[in-house]
Amino acid sequence: MKTIVITGATSGIGLETARLLACRGFSVIATGRDAGRCKAARDSILASAPDAEVRFYPADLMRRKDALDLSARIREDLDRTSAGCLHALINNAGCAKSWYATTEDGLEQQFALNYLAGFLLTYGLSPALSRAGGRVIMTASQSHKGARVRWDDLMLTRRYNPLTAYKQSKLCDVLFARALNDRYAALGIRAYAVDPGLVCTEIGNKAGGVVGLVWSLRKRHGIPPSVSAEAFARLCIPVQHPAGLYHDRHGEKAFSRQVTAENAARLFSVSERLCGISYQEET
Amino acid sequence: MNVMITGAAGGLGRAMAVECARRGYALFLTNIDAPALAAIQKGLSRRFCVKIYAEPCDLTDSAGVDALMAEIDRLGLRFDMLLNIAGIDYEGGFLRREREKIVRIVALNDEGTLRVTHAVLQRRNPDARFCIVVVSSLAALFPMPLKAAYAASKRFLMDFGMALRQELTGQDANVLTLCPGGLSTNDEVCAAILAQGVAGSLTTNAMERVVRKTLDLAWKGRARYIPGAFNRLLFLLGKAVPASWTAALIFRRWTQTQKKWLYPTQIP
Ligand SMILES: NC(=O)c1ccc[n+]([C@@H]2O[C@H](COP(=O)([O-])OP(=O)(O)OC[C@H]3O[C@@H](n4cnc5c(N)ncnc54)[C@H](OP(=O)(O)O)[C@@H]3O)[C@@H](O)[C@H]2O)c1
Repeated sequence: MKTIVITGATSGIGLETARLLACRGFSVIATGRDAGRCKAARDSILASAPDAEVRFYPADLMRRKDALDLSARIREDLDRTSAGCLHALINNAGCAKSWYATTEDGLEQQFALNYLAGFLLTYGLSPALSRAGGRVIMTASQSHKGARVRWDDLMLTRRYNPLTAYKQSKLCDVLFARALNDRYAALGIRAYAVDPGLVCTEIGNKAGGVVGLVWSLRKRHGIPPSVSAEAFARLCIPVQHPAGLYHDRHGEKAFSRQVTAENAARLFSVSERLCGISYQEET
Repeated sequence: MNVMITGAAGGLGRAMAVECARRGYALFLTNIDAPALAAIQKGLSRRFCVKIYAEPCDLTDSAGVDALMAEIDRLGLRFDMLLNIAGIDYEGGFLRREREKIVRIVALNDEGTLRVTHAVLQRRNPDARFCIVVVSSLAALFPMPLKAAYAASKRFLMDFGMALRQELTGQDANVLTLCPGGLSTNDEVCAAILAQGVAGSLTTNAMERVVRKTLDLAWKGRARYIPGAFNRLLFLLGKAVPASWTAALIFRRWTQTQKKWLYPTQIP
């Protein structure tokens, strides 16, 4: 049985993807920020697939320490259950915000959760991924196309616009997938970014304010999260690594022209500095 | 340039610390929560090439502040700026909150600020201009039922800041009193802002902007900064309308808001 890890699986796209992959015979390690919501999500998956193998680990991924602790716990779990092998890591946890707000270590929250948490977790799990020739999947978004990376003000403190920060975080997801392929193809790790489409979830409502109002109207046109989950299944199920970098549920698609090797490498080294880690040591 | 920031691990304190580090100021950070303080210190050190000291301290404890100052003297630090950000609030009716919790609002917001300001003024850089920022609140402008102790503690700071500024004229120092409306400092505050609906959004200020302007205006010698045109209008109205009227109005509004937010289960 192959094991996959998926973050942000207590609601929306993450929950439905965890459910789908559990039904398709994967052993699923899932995460959420709240223990109670983790239990509820697990119950809900088991209700639709009683034989599913699914366990939840709560962790607040906006906190660097939680993300590193979580990867240690998952490594132990993998050593116990899966000979230390990880077939796929889906970095899906994400948020939208209405206002500028920072994490404990002073980073803008959307950047920290939507992108940097995945960077940290992938770092912690890279030995397990490389053992299995594993896949890293970033939940990106079509909105990454409207963004550029503000290298001189990554946290967007000057004239903060929550939507710009969201788009930039999603562009960073695609850039990170690109950087992983550029750097670690030799280790057998293969990375992808997924466009889930416009999906009817609560993500914008949790932001409140103007973002919440706009999202309430917009999400009515969205597809159900169970449909967007297929995009992830397409990347996890084939034995061979599927080709391409950016996918939706119909297949490969075009990504932003900002996604260059140069930008990817630059973001990678900035991220190592922001996290105080070095991938070289881990892999 | 050396800057001391209290409450540096909280939402506004962190945002201030980030902006100061971005400007290249050396920082001395303090907060009661040691792990959170270590997190922001490390986070900033990874991002910026500035010296960042951090030392946890409970500012309601006089001996603790003495120890903090001893550490500063041991390091031989002298300051150019003091940002008094540490402060607390417990929402809810006077009798619905524990006695000591309410007393603690005054112990930290007022006494703590006095203690630190008194001590740090004696450790100012003697050769340079000195700036103090005191964080009051829009709540200081009116008597606020259901936030009575908090609003009064902020009123104290507003008057104290203004008066101290006078005392320091001629000594190349300025005191700026910041009176923000809502700031998205943490999840709890965001929930409170949302519960206030349109009024919440109107009085809420963009934190990153407030932070930048506060520092700029403090150096320019301004006495008071009320961010946002709507908040400035409220300030003027507050002066024109008798206090008993505003108190009654605010009581009506906060009763509704707090029902929605603090005691949601009581809604039939
Ligand atoms: N919805 C769309 O149309 C759309 C489009 C493109 C991309 N996306 C992306 O898809 C991903 C999932 O979004 P969604 O729409 O499914 O939203 P969602 O239902 O709000 O799911 C987000 C997940 O992340 C978790 N989470 C939030 N904050 C966290 C934290 N600090 N630490 C750990 N986990 C945390 C949430 O936990 P709780 O359940 O406790 O809130 C939830 O499990 C996000 O990366 C989003 O950017 C969504």
